[in-house]
Amino acid sequence: MALEDNRSFTHPLYDFMLSVPGLSVATAPIDQLLTWGLTNSLWIFPMATSCCGIEFMATAASRVDIDRMGSIVRGTPRQADVMVVAGTITVKMAPRVKKLWDLMPEPKWCLAMGSCAISGDFYRDLYPTVPGIDTFMPVDVYVPGCPPNPEALMAGMLRLQEKVRLQREGKWAPKETRPETAKMIMPALRRINDPTRDPKLDDAQTHSAMKVAGSGALEEQPTQARQGVRAEPIAKVDGDLEALLRAHGVTEIPKDAPPLVPVERHRELARALKDRGFRQLVTVVASHYLAKKDKAEVVTEPEYYEVAYALRTPGRGSQVVMWRVRFTALDGIDSLYGVFAGADWQEREQFDLFGVRFAGHPDLRRILLPHDYSTFPLRRDHASDAPCAPWR
Amino acid sequence: MNGLLHGLLYGLPIITVVLTATALGLWFERKFAARIQSRKGPTMVGPAGILQPLADVLKMLQKEQIAPAAADRFLFELAPILCGACAVATAAVVPFSPTVIAADIDVGVLYVLAVNALILIPVWMGGWASNNKFALIGAMRAVAQSVSYSVPMVLSALVPVILAGSMSLSDIVRYQSEHHWFALWPTIPGLPAFVLFFLSSLAEANRIPFDIPEAESELIAGITTEYTGMKFGLFYMAEYIHTLIASAVASVLFLGGWDGPLYPGLHWMVIKTLLLFASIYWVRWSLLRFRTDQLMMLCWKWLVPASLLLVMAAALYVKAGGM
Amino acid sequence: MSMPMTEATAKRRNPHFRLDLYEPEADLMVLNFGPQHPSTHGVFRMQLYLDGEKIVKAVPDLGYLHRGVEKLCERLTYVQITPIVDKNDYVSPMHNEQAINMAFEKLMGIEVPRRARYLRTIFAELQRIASHLLWLGTFALDLGGAIGGGASVFLHCFRERELILDLFEEVTGARFHYNTHTIGGNRHDITPGWADSVKKVLSVIESRIPEYESMTLSNGIFFERTKGVGVLDGELALELGITGPILRASGVDHDLRRDAPYHAYDEIEVKVASQPGGDCWSRSVVRLAEIRESIRIVRALIDSVPEGPICGYKPIKLVGQVKIPSGQIYSAMESSRGELGTYVIAGGGEGNVSPYRLKIRPPSFHALSALPYLLPGHMVADAVVILGSLDPIMEEVDR
Repeated sequence: MALEDNRSFTHPLYDFMLSVPGLSVATAPIDQLLTWGLTNSLWIFPMATSCCGIEFMATAASRVDIDRMGSIVRGTPRQADVMVVAGTITVKMAPRVKKLWDLMPEPKWCLAMGSCAISGDFYRDLYPTVPGIDTFMPVDVYVPGCPPNPEALMAGMLRLQEKVRLQREGKWAPKETRPETAKMIMPALRRINDPTRDPKLDDAQTHSAMKVAGSGALEEQPTQARQGVRAEPIAKVDGDLEALLRAHGVTEIPKDAPPLVPVERHRELARALKDRGFRQLVTVVASHYLAKKDKAEVVTEPEYYEVAYALRTPGRGSQVVMWRVRFTALDGIDSLYGVFAGADWQEREQFDLFGVRFAGHPDLRRILLPHDYSTFPLRRDHASDAPCAPWR
Repeated sequence: MNGLLHGLLYGLPIITVVLTATALGLWFERKFAARIQSRKGPTMVGPAGILQPLADVLKMLQKEQIAPAAADRFLFELAPILCGACAVATAAVVPFSPTVIAADIDVGVLYVLAVNALILIPVWMGGWASNNKFALIGAMRAVAQSVSYSVPMVLSALVPVILAGSMSLSDIVRYQSEHHWFALWPTIPGLPAFVLFFLSSLAEANRIPFDIPEAESELIAGITTEYTGMKFGLFYMAEYIHTLIASAVASVLFLGGWDGPLYPGLHWMVIKTLLLFASIYWVRWSLLRFRTDQLMMLCWKWLVPASLLLVMAAALYVKAGGM
Repeated sequence: MSMPMTEATAKRRNPHFRLDLYEPEADLMVLNFGPQHPSTHGVFRMQLYLDGEKIVKAVPDLGYLHRGVEKLCERLTYVQITPIVDKNDYVSPMHNEQAINMAFEKLMGIEVPRRARYLRTIFAELQRIASHLLWLGTFALDLGGAIGGGASVFLHCFRERELILDLFEEVTGARFHYNTHTIGGNRHDITPGWADSVKKVLSVIESRIPEYESMTLSNGIFFERTKGVGVLDGELALELGITGPILRASGVDHDLRRDAPYHAYDEIEVKVASQPGGDCWSRSVVRLAEIRESIRIVRALIDSVPEGPICGYKPIKLVGQVKIPSGQIYSAMESSRGELGTYVIAGGGEGNVSPYRLKIRPPSFHALSALPYLLPGHMVADAVVILGSLDPIMEEVDR
C-alpha cells in the first residue's frame, strides 16, 4: 500500500481487479467491505507508561469493555493497528516508542491518551520529559485528561473509527486539534516564586480568599508555624543514642535537622548502628549547596554537598535514626555498601542526580537517566528546563 | 479416480465448514470468555458481534506484510502456510457421519496423530526464521512440549484402537455404536484414556494450562511475535482448527462419534464436538499456566506411565474376552 | 571490585558477579526484557543472561519514566506539590498525598483535626484495598496470560476496584488523582450517605474474596508457580530497605501502621499479617490478608468518624501562603507497597515557599533492588512471577 500514480489507495488486489475486464465493477463494494473490516477491528498496542496505563486497563475491563467494538490488546506491535500512547514519554523512552511505532505494519494510527502524551503536561518543561509525542511521531486522535476517564478513551477510539472511515472514503477528515498548550506554559497569574510576579497580586489573592472563607479567617487561626515555634523537635534523639553519636564525632545535636557526622567516621557509625538493631537502610538523600558570594563576588562559603542517611529498627516501636555528612569534594564520601546491601542502588541514584561519587561503591553507573546523559540534574546550578536534544 | 472424486465432493465442503466453524468458534470464544469475565464481548459488529472474526480477517488481509531484515525469508513465508495446511489436513479423515468423511482410510488414527505432530515443524520453522529471541524460545518450548505430549496422546489413542481392533476411525465409531462408548465402558481403560487424550490434545494445541509456547506474559506472542497481518492470522486460525479437530477426534475415539441415543447422525457429532470445544475454553479462561519444567514433569512422570498402564489394561480386557 | 563483606553478605548471591567467571552449559543468550513488555508493569527493562532458560544474571535498567518530579517540586510551592505527587504511585494516589502532607505538617508542627485523621485513615485503607486488588489482577495476568485464566482474575479484580474508585469520586470528584489532602487536613468532606455506600461496597468485596482465592491461592497451578519461587530472606530485605508486604512475607513483623502510628492508627489495633516463607506465595497470602484487614479497619472506623473541622490550617485555596522556615525532616507512612517516606529540606529557597530539596522515598525502588538477588537460578517464566510479586510501580521508582 503506498501513495503513487495519483491514486489515493493502491493494493495488489485492486491492480488485479482493474486489469481483468468486468471485474473492475466490483472494486467499490470490495473497498467498502475492506473498510468495514478495517474500522471494526482496531487492535491496540498499549504504549502504557504511567497513570493513563491504569485507566487504559480500566477501559479494557468489564465496565467499559473496549472489546465491544472489536478492539483487543496485542503485546506485539506487529499485530496491532492502533498505538495508544498512555502516559509520560521521557527522553530515555522516546527512541523506544519511535522504534515500536516503526515496527507496526501499515495502515496504523496513533492515539495520544492523557495530557502527558499530548503535551507533557506539567512535566513539559522539565529536563527529562518530551513535550508531547507529536514532536516525533504522528498522532491521529488526542484524548485529553489527567488521566482521561475510560469512557473518554472509548469515545476517542470511536472517533478514530470514524476518522478512518472518512479517510478511506476519500472524504475530508477534520484534523484533530491538539489541545492548546501554548497558553498554558505561562499561567495567567504568575507563580508565587516567579520573580516577575506582581507583588500586588499577593495582597489581592489574600483579600479574595478571605472573602471566600469569611472575613478575618486568617487572623482567627494563627498557627504555631507562623510564629516559628514547633510543637516538638523534629529530630528526636534519646540519651543512649546521643552517646553513641557523640562517640563518633558528633559535636552538637540540632533540633531541626539530623546531626552532622565527620565524613571519615560515618561508615563506622553505620556499622555501629547496625549492630544496635538499626538493620534497615531507609533512605539516602544527597543535597547540593552552592557557594555563597558577597557583593564583590568573593566566595565567602565554598560549594558543598550533604548526604543524609536514615536507618530504622524493624518491629514494634520502630525507631529512625538519621545523620548527615557534609563534604566539599565530589568524591569525598565513603559508600555504605558492605554494611548495607541496599546502599548499592540508593547511592547510585544519588550519584545519578548529583554526581556525588561514593568511594568503594562497586557499580557506580547512572541508574535513572540515559547512560550518555552528561550533567547531574538535581544540582542547584542545573536549570530544571535544561534542553535535552533532540526533543527539546 | 473414484476416491479422488469422493475426496473432492466431501473434502471441499468439509474444509469450508471447518473454516466457517473456526470463525464461529472464534466469536463463540470471545463471547464465552466475556461472559466468564462479566463483560459483554463484541457487540457492535453484526448482530451480537457475530461478524467480528470476519472483520478481523478482512483487516488482516489489508495489513502490510513485514519480514524482519535478518529473517530467513523462505522459511518465514512458508511456515504459516504449512501450519494452516497441516491443521486443515487433519480434518480429512474425521468421520462426521457414516457418509460425511473426505477419506475413510484404514489407518485413520495413525494419520490424525501423525499430521497433528507434523504441526510442530512449521511452528519451529516460524520461530527459528523470525530471528527473534522471544520467537525462538517459544519455538523451542513448542517443540519440547509437542514431542513430549505426543507420547501420552498416541498411547491413549491406542486404547480405543485395541478395544475396537481397528485403526480406521469410522470402524471405531461403528464398534462403539454396536457396543458402548469407550468413555463409558469399559470404564477402566476407557474413561482415564479419554481424560489423558483430552489433556494431551490441550497441550498439543497450546491451550492453557499448557500454552507456554505463546505465553504472552513472558514471550509477548511467542512464535508469532514477528508475524504481521494474515500470516499471523494463519497461525491463529490453525490453532483454532487444531482445537476444533482435536475435539472432533476425541469425540470420535471415545464418545461414539455420530452415534447417539436418538436418530444417530451428523448432529450428534456436532453437539459432542462443540461441547468438548466449549470445555476447552472453559478450562482456558479459568486456569493459570504451568511452567516449562512443571509441564515436562507432569508429562513424563504421570501421563506417560499412566497411559502405558491403560494400554496394558486395554490389552488385558481384550484378552479376557471383553466381558 | 572486591568489597569487604560482612558474614551475612558473604553467603548471599553477588549481584555484580562477573559473567566471564561463569561456565555455561550452553551458550549464554541475552534476553532484553522490556522496556515495553506486557508484564514489566510499566516501563522497566531487564537484561537477562540466559543459560538455556535459566537466568544466570539479571541487570535491571530503570529510569524510562524518570520525569524529574523532585526537581519540579523545588520550584513549586508547598500547596502545589500535592497534585504533582499524586501521580507518583498512581495505583494509590491517596497515600502519596498523605505522605507528603504529613511531612509538611510535621515540619510546621501543625495538628491535624481528629475528623481529618479519621478520614485519612479510611481513605488510606480503601486505597490499600484498591491497590492490592489491582496487584492481584496483574499478578494473575503474569501467571495466566492475557488470553487465559489470568485475564479473568484481572477483570474480576478491576470490577471491584471500580467500586472503590466510585466511592472516592463521590467524595473528591475525581476518579484517579484526587488532590483531596492539603497541609493541615483534607479539602473535601464526606457526603451524607457515604458511610452507607462504603459499607455496601465492603460487603461486596468481602463476599468476593473467596472467589479470588479459589482462582488463585487455592488453585494448584498457582501454588506450583509461586511456592518456593523468589525466596527473599528477611535480613537482606531489611538491608535493601524493602518494606511493606514483601518484608512481612519474609518473616519480619513490621508495619508502620502499628509500629510508628500516624493518622488514627493509634486508636485502632492493626493486626499485621506476616508469613515466614519469603517467596511469591507468601507475598500473595500477605496481600490478600491485608485486604481483609483493611476491610476490618474501615468497618471499625466508618461509623465513629468524629464531628469537627476537616482542616486545621487555613489557607486551603491560597497558593503560596504556606511558608516553612528552615529545617530538615523525614516522615514516613505505610503505603500499599511499604514505607513511603518524604525527606524535606525546607528553607534556603525563595521566600520559604518551596522546599530546598524534596526526596520521595518510594517503596518500589527498594523492592526492585532485590531483583539481581532473586532472579538468578530461576527460569524466564519465574522472572515474570517474581517481578509481579514485588508489585513495582515504575512511576514511583523513577519519579
